[in-house]
Amino acid sequence: MTTYTHIDQTLLNSILDRLLPAIDELASAGQMNLSDEIVRLAAQQARFNALFTAAMNSFSERHPSFDSLDSEQQDDAIRSFEANNAELFDVLLSISYIVYYKDSRVHERIGWSGKSPQPDGNEMEPWDESVLENMRKREPFWRRTDV
Amino acid sequence: MTSNNGSTNETVDILVIGAGASGGAASAWLSEAGFKVKCLEQGYWQDPSKYASASADYEFEMMTNWAPDPNVRQRDEDYPVNDSASPVTPVMFNGVGGSTILWTAHTPRFHPSDFRVKSLDGVADDWPISYEELEEFYDLNDEVMGCSGINGDPANPPRSPRQMPPLPLGKDGKKLISGFEKLGWHWWPSDSYVNSQRYGEGRDACNFCGHNHMGCYQRAKSSTDLTYWPRALRNGAVIETGARVHRITTDDSGRATGADYIDSKGNEQHQSARAVIMAANGIGTPRLLLNSTNDAHPDGLANSSGLVGKNLMFHPFAMIAGTFPQKMKTWQGPLGNIAMSQEFYETDKNRGFVRGYTFQFQRSLGPAWIAKGGFRKPIPWGEGHHELLEKRLGSTMGMAVIGEDLPELHNTVDLDPELTDSDGIPAPRITYTLSKNSRDQLDHAIENAKKALEAAGASDIYVDPMMRQSGWHLMGTARMGNDPAGSVVDKWGQSHDVDNLFIVDGSVFVTGAAVNPTPTIQALALRTADYIVANRQDLKG
Ligand SMILES: Cc1cc2nc3c(=O)[nH]c(=O)nc-3n(C[C@H](O)[C@H](O)[C@H](O)COP(=O)(O)OP(=O)(O)OC[C@H]3O[C@@H](n4cnc5c(N)ncnc54)[C@H](O)[C@@H]3O)c2cc1C
Repeated sequence: MTTYTHIDQTLLNSILDRLLPAIDELASAGQMNLSDEIVRLAAQQARFNALFTAAMNSFSERHPSFDSLDSEQQDDAIRSFEANNAELFDVLLSISYIVYYKDSRVHERIGWSGKSPQPDGNEMEPWDESVLENMRKREPFWRRTDV
Repeated sequence: MTSNNGSTNETVDILVIGAGASGGAASAWLSEAGFKVKCLEQGYWQDPSKYASASADYEFEMMTNWAPDPNVRQRDEDYPVNDSASPVTPVMFNGVGGSTILWTAHTPRFHPSDFRVKSLDGVADDWPISYEELEEFYDLNDEVMGCSGINGDPANPPRSPRQMPPLPLGKDGKKLISGFEKLGWHWWPSDSYVNSQRYGEGRDACNFCGHNHMGCYQRAKSSTDLTYWPRALRNGAVIETGARVHRITTDDSGRATGADYIDSKGNEQHQSARAVIMAANGIGTPRLLLNSTNDAHPDGLANSSGLVGKNLMFHPFAMIAGTFPQKMKTWQGPLGNIAMSQEFYETDKNRGFVRGYTFQFQRSLGPAWIAKGGFRKPIPWGEGHHELLEKRLGSTMGMAVIGEDLPELHNTVDLDPELTDSDGIPAPRITYTLSKNSRDQLDHAIENAKKALEAAGASDIYVDPMMRQSGWHLMGTARMGNDPAGSVVDKWGQSHDVDNLFIVDGSVFVTGAAVNPTPTIQALALRTADYIVANRQDLKG
């Protein structure tokens, strides 16, 4: 499986800063140092990892001096990559969103419990028969085939 | 769960190819009647306690190792599908339980009119059987799979009492329904093969985790590894897992003799049988039949009609999503098992198309899923991202349109000339275009979905006019009929060409109706099994 290089992680953090900017008290995603986790998680599936690596390589080839651009230029560079490499950009965006939204600092800000769906599940109010009051009054309207 | 043993190759009465929804039902029924049944399944047993919904990385797993698209999931047991000539991507799961491992288990039935589209609307063909002939098998299947729901739906004929009350609608479900109520349009709580109470062997009630589409940890969702297969194994049926069939073999008289397959260790094997049942789904079955050529049948087995692999139907699927001002924890409760509307199900020629559609109400999931778009395009990155995420999280609901696809010869599954699976077996290639009738249906549905969402108070409405990742219903590629020149199997699922070859999966569908197909697939599988029990004792050794 491909391992990622330090230089690329720097680039990744710079991209993350633009994708998920700071809000309220929360730093931007690059400043939150999510790149280690992104690299770890991407490696959990060979196909995904290959696409992610290709996305990062292709991005750094296209924009070798991304770090030295100002914010607006960086946004333009990302937008151009997005427009020209839709599939690869989608992979980069997906893993960025997934790792950002599994971070407890983000959970705290958006009020998300952060628990995995199982084993606890959720509570729901019980089935309430009264909701069918109107529908029960409706005559059957399925199409008969015996006429 | 073990598979009894699996890999002894002595002759069996019935060899079933595929351990999914239909293979499970047929195997249980035949083994109950004393037939010696063996199933070859290319995938493996799943352990619900290891499903990814209990992992911190579930959102990553959902789009990779547990993705419904085999081209994305790429497990060893998956086969690739060339879908480059189709706007719809076929999705499935390969393992014991088949695609019911990942399904949503929304389980409506066909309507009586669905079996009579030629007589009623002058299109496609009538089925050689009626709703009434299938009804007892629908009932039987409901009992084994376990159906949550409630009788009295005015859009459908009366049916037997459901095994469990409906799954609760939730605040979000009620909200969506309020739009239909305002417009005076039909809606009804969905029939679902998801337990609203404990039901079946070791199967709990749903705990509303919202992620049963990546395997149900709670065993509340019915999948055949939990329902039919334990029963079949108790009756003495065996499953050999990791067994990838590549050819149905025949003798000089053209009768099926069994199957050639590659076992889990990569060894070539032959399993002989007195009869073969194909249950590899609407893509896997034509793939195998087309790959089973020899001098006597150079165009594939059971294919004198030339219709194996033709008439592929998906359900053309549009998604219309909206955002509500209320926060309703829309991630709580199964994604697609709330309610449905069949206001526009039956043909009304004033609409400019024939047949109709169902609206299936949908919840939404957690923050990364919402950020990634869920039913929509991803939330834009950069400025404004956080605000939009907060607006949509917990308040996004959708309506899926399931339109009736009619059979067309040019929509096909054939063998790709180059692409193969990991064992070198030719992969299926899909060629599909959406018909004008289907497009008109979807457009009509989209306008009505917008009205219903707006009536319920939603804004920020998004339309996906045809979802690409929506090929979950695979139908029509070995259709049934009375005329051997115009169909592959007869009304019992028996091949016209090969009297000991049967097909029980969605391939046999004549038309697709406008509902999720699996209760109908399983009812047909039970009916075929019942026919074999009653009429083909000659197949018992
Ligand atoms: C994500 C998703 C959601 C769905 N939601 C719903 C829903 O809500 N309601 C509904 O009615 N339907 C739904 N479906 C569809 C439903 O799962 C299928 O209609 C049903 O499982 C089809 O049953 P089957 O027996 O034809 O095939 P499957 O269940 O697909 O089983 C076929 C089996 O055959 C095996 N096989 C194939 N080829 C070979 C070979 N060469 N050798 C050995 N084994 C082979 C496969 O590994 C597989 O296990 C959904 C499907 C998916 C993927």
